[in-house]
Amino acid sequence: MGEVAGLPGDGADRTRTEQIESLRRRMSAVSSGVGTSASDPVRIPAERLLPVPGPLAALLPHGGLVRGTVVSLSGATSLLSGLLASVTATGGHAAVVGHRRLGLLAAAEMGARLPRLAVIADPGPDPIEVAAVLLDGMDMVVLDLEGIVVPPSRARVVAARVRNKGAVLVVTGGRWDGAHVGLEARVDGYRGLTGAGRERLCGTRLSVRAHGRAFAPRTVHVDVCVERDSVTWVPDTRPHNGVPDLEVVR
Amino acid sequence: MRVVAVWCPDWPAVAAATAADLPATTPVAVVAANRVVACTAPARAAGVRRGSRRREAQGRCPELHVTQDDPDRDAYLFEPVVAAIDAAAPGVEVLRPGLVVLAARGVVRWFGSEEVAAERLVDEVASVGVECQVGIADELSAAVLAARRAALVPRGMSREFLAQLPISELSVEPALASADRAELVDLLRRLGIRTIGAFAELSPADVMSRFGADATLAHRCARGLPERPPSARPVPPDLAVDHRCDPPVDRVDTAAFVGRALAEQLHVRLAAVGAACTRLLVRARTGNGEESVRTWRVAEPLTPEGTADRVRWQLDGWLTGRSADRPTSGITSVLLEPVEVVTAGALQPGLWGDVGAGDDRARRALVRVQGLLGGDAVRVGALDGGRGPLERIVFVPVGEKPLPGRDPDAPWPGRLPPPAPPMVFHVPPPVALDDDVGDAVIVTERGLLSGRPTWLRWGSRRWSVSGWAGPWPVDEYWWDPDTTRTVARLQVLLDGARALLIVGGTDGWRVEGVYD
Repeated sequence: MGEVAGLPGDGADRTRTEQIESLRRRMSAVSSGVGTSASDPVRIPAERLLPVPGPLAALLPHGGLVRGTVVSLSGATSLLSGLLASVTATGGHAAVVGHRRLGLLAAAEMGARLPRLAVIADPGPDPIEVAAVLLDGMDMVVLDLEGIVVPPSRARVVAARVRNKGAVLVVTGGRWDGAHVGLEARVDGYRGLTGAGRERLCGTRLSVRAHGRAFAPRTVHVDVCVERDSVTWVPDTRPHNGVPDLEVVR
Repeated sequence: MRVVAVWCPDWPAVAAATAADLPATTPVAVVAANRVVACTAPARAAGVRRGSRRREAQGRCPELHVTQDDPDRDAYLFEPVVAAIDAAAPGVEVLRPGLVVLAARGVVRWFGSEEVAAERLVDEVASVGVECQVGIADELSAAVLAARRAALVPRGMSREFLAQLPISELSVEPALASADRAELVDLLRRLGIRTIGAFAELSPADVMSRFGADATLAHRCARGLPERPPSARPVPPDLAVDHRCDPPVDRVDTAAFVGRALAEQLHVRLAAVGAACTRLLVRARTGNGEESVRTWRVAEPLTPEGTADRVRWQLDGWLTGRSADRPTSGITSVLLEPVEVVTAGALQPGLWGDVGAGDDRARRALVRVQGLLGGDAVRVGALDGGRGPLERIVFVPVGEKPLPGRDPDAPWPGRLPPPAPPMVFHVPPPVALDDDVGDAVIVTERGLLSGRPTWLRWGSRRWSVSGWAGPWPVDEYWWDPDTTRTVARLQVLLDGARALLIVGGTDGWRVEGVYD
């Protein structure tokens, strides 16, 4: 209180934008301090978490996706396959609304149990309604917005349902106001395919960036590679050519 | 879900001895159609066996007391036993007279441990003068077989416990096996499968396609899976039938008559929705507010006669007052309610794997979406045999029986090694693949590329090919001129930035998937 009250006095000659800028800096310092000082400020019990592929646990503040939250996903499809695989492999149920191009074989190779993964490739005129119904029984519902704009009022209603049912709603292909966590995957490169007719593809390198309301953005580099007949997620230990881990938000 | 099974050995013979007021040391045999169907331990010690002729049994044991088989006697004498178990642990389900099961969770938590719970149940049954054995396991079928050995199978060890048992154990319990299970067991034995473990190692698709529906159930049991997975359909509403008795019923024969009429009504309703009942709740009330509730579980869907029998057994045992809580006035209402139904004549193997509350919830949500969009809109994938990423996944509408498809574990020459592309195109878009002099690259009959892929054109855009691997040639259905297909798959890397899986045939190259 004292700090804010003191501001106009010590900055009488500063412009309004400078004041806002300095306030924003202080606020971000406070929130990032909370996010990093104690790694787990509010301990969430394991049954309230949905598992994520191994290397991504370091990315999320609680080591998994918290039930009752909305996650927005963008970029490479491998990330979606990986999330579906880790949820269904541990006994959870998942449903995918839309996403007719999702390759289930890739998810199965990552360890997904296909009988627990329902696919509604053609959800009709109102995919959000379908997803809202599915939230009742599923642990994870993936909703492909296909570019439609969701009015904030509707997003709030669905988010309340997500919280109430304890599911995780994963939105892709559009903007969702009020997502708790955003995950963004980018293909950095591949293992194999090094030249003409040499070395078949045997892995994909991804960089996954997480940002959210309650923590500072972080990035991890992972290697989705083949091990015998299955596909596993391992941290990418290869040196990176100077991609900054921390980026300034706004 | 852990299950406790309580099994009274040789129940028909024990019941016959009780009805004739014979001491437990007398050898007793129950015969049906001139064959022994059950005998007591003293008779067995004298050499009497199930299945032997009556005359042969009497020859081996001259002092043998022989009675005719009587399911009604078995049922009403069993009622006090059920009541005694029910007093210690509610939620008892009767599989047949002589065998009950109950969910382990409540009773184990109440008594502290599985060993104590088993001891208490044995004591409770002993208090009404009957011997029993208790088995606990993860699944119903495993628990019943464990009860025959008085074993407590540790969590997750059902399959290992069953593996060492002889294959004949699969048909030994009539409440779990259908009538022709013995033929299946005989066939398996002649095929050289002597233990349940050996049977469990067969692939489910093979068992289903060769031995039929009953074998699939037996196989699920052998693998330590719930024998009857939840059907994909919920119990339709308004199936329960209710009857108000005016004047109140206090005689067994009148009660049986009411039961028969109710059973007919119930089956008319079930037939109208195309369902069959596998678990039935029977509730009877008296004018003074006493109540008798029993859940009956059966291996095969109930027939009207089977339903009527169960109602009569329950009311008979209650009204004739061998159990402690004999009603003080006549029965005023009888209710039959199906607790579990299956699609009539259909089998639902493992679409949803193991049973649990979560599975049930998920299934209900999917059924609701099916109601919104139609049954075909909600599908689950299953692995299938094949070579490309599209062929290797087959989609089945939720709730439908997955067809035994092509074997995914068979060798498929030309199959792409993992990883599969996470993004696939069900309608593959055409692309053009050119070599360094601008000619189209094709795959020769020998499975080689005609040139070195250098450029890839997709729509109006063009990328340079910085790396490629393959081709994986496939010559499918060459024996059938209509479906024959000669294609080759190629992995290409565009500009070092994006890898594609393309498939080339006589009509040029198409993109099958993106490694993304």
